Amino acid sequence: MALRVTNTIGLRLLQEVTQGFLAPVAVTANTQIVRHRRTKHWNPKWKLFRRLKVMPVELPKFHEKVEDMTDEELRLRLKKQGILPPRPWVERQFFIHSTGGVFEPYVPPEGDGKVSPVSKQGAMQSLQFLGKKSKTMMAIRKIRQYEEEFDSPSFCKEASKIYIKMHELMMDKDNEDIIDVVTERAYPEVIHNIKNKTIHWKFIKDIELPRIVQARCTDIITKENIFAQITVRFHTQQTLAIYDRFGRLMHGSEIIAKDVLEYVVFEKNVSNEYGTWRVHSKIIPDWLPPKEPSQLTYKKKKEVPVEEKKDEKVAQIAAGSKVVEQSKAGEKLVTQ
Amino acid sequence: MTLNAIYRSFNLSSKVIQPFSVQCSQIHTSPSKLAWQNEDRSTKKWLKYNEKMYPPQGPDEEPRPAFVCHQRTNIKYSPWKMWYVACLIRGMPVDEAIKQLKFVLKKGAKDVREVLEEAKVMAAKEHNVEFPSNMWVAESFVGKGTVIKGIRRHARARFGTVEYFHCHYFVKLEEGKPPKHYYQPSKEPKEQLEDWLSQMRRRKITSSL
Repeated sequence: MALRVTNTIGLRLLQEVTQGFLAPVAVTANTQIVRHRRTKHWNPKWKLFRRLKVMPVELPKFHEKVEDMTDEELRLRLKKQGILPPRPWVERQFFIHSTGGVFEPYVPPEGDGKVSPVSKQGAMQSLQFLGKKSKTMMAIRKIRQYEEEFDSPSFCKEASKIYIKMHELMMDKDNEDIIDVVTERAYPEVIHNIKNKTIHWKFIKDIELPRIVQARCTDIITKENIFAQITVRFHTQQTLAIYDRFGRLMHGSEIIAKDVLEYVVFEKNVSNEYGTWRVHSKIIPDWLPPKEPSQLTYKKKKEVPVEEKKDEKVAQIAAGSKVVEQSKAGEKLVTQ
Repeated sequence: MTLNAIYRSFNLSSKVIQPFSVQCSQIHTSPSKLAWQNEDRSTKKWLKYNEKMYPPQGPDEEPRPAFVCHQRTNIKYSPWKMWYVACLIRGMPVDEAIKQLKFVLKKGAKDVREVLEEAKVMAAKEHNVEFPSNMWVAESFVGKGTVIKGIRRHARARFGTVEYFHCHYFVKLEEGKPPKHYYQPSKEPKEQLEDWLSQMRRRKITSSL
């Protein structure tokens, strides 16, 4: 026992002395300092035996993603685990309740809602509108084959009801009932738009009565399975305030009412006995300038001390012109 | 008629009709030794804070600071070692924290840095934070993850267990400038003296005048 103690002490002393000797030399000679581990045996021949004492364990790979693995790697992994690859499930149920897009989308005339029908441009537009009407009439006749009491004024009333119902359900975040007024194509868009947001929306009044601008019919898979799409023009006054998750105002205002011109596409599977008119899409024309994201940060204006009366007058005039500009800008296509 | 409508008309609870995948997840197919294991057991709650909605504020109210919670689970690192990394960055601005972590020579520092960067991206994309750099580390802590046990041979036909630890890392970033003191600062000597004096004066001496 005594021998062992002296032995170990001697060893330690030896190592420390050598390290102490070497350290300044190592620094000057720019060589690496070797750290000796004193908890292990000095003879490396035991290293292997120490390792053999520990039973190897395969740790689970928590951060491995199947998407990143190649097919070959996946195959090897399955083979190692003795699992058969999943059988491709070819049989699949289809229930087509809505179409995947808008066919022959309506192109709204430029400057709609701003140009008065009395002007030359306005007259041209109404003429063009009449010219394109034949296809719409055909489609409406087709709809009447399945829905005898179809009538455009009553449909427009129903459409505006659906439109308002949709926005109310969006406000309530009713993900389940909203499918009754929105088609499967529009559903993900709507859900995405209400995520993490609080919406306060109010319908004030119709500026112009909603009217049908286009109707189209198409068949899917079989000749008898007919889908009808009707584009309705809404020119309404609304207020919209969107708050983010923390209740901060993101967009719009609770009090400022805006004139909104919208082209909403409604769809119905007319040959289906239980089909209903639902909101399918909104038409955003190509000529509409892209919307700027709502800004959060703004530069605080420096308060200019008012000294002279002349300056005040100029400021008033400037403010007046701004108001006029705003009211002009208010009448533009607002798409939510 | 939609599927949804059918469900409601028959008044079937969602438990009866479920997608096949959900049903499958309830059947226990793995070996019984894994029955107690539930990886997400302790980590499900933290991300729920990201779904909390606050009521709208008026224009005269001070805007609520945005926050975002993020986590990384089962990092192959010791939870006790990770604690030092988590403590280091508490109460720092995010960019400063990321900068500091680049100089930490610990394996866990890399994961923490990645989590912070992910959280910054999340904040800008999903939580209406305009400048993710204008955030500070409000909470940063570590949880114990899965522990895998192995065997080690000892002398005289004995054995010991080897524990392979994993850890979870949780972080919450809050918008705005960090507070001056994240922890309660220690009192000034003068204040301490005053406290002591008042305490002494307040004491009750029994049977005294």
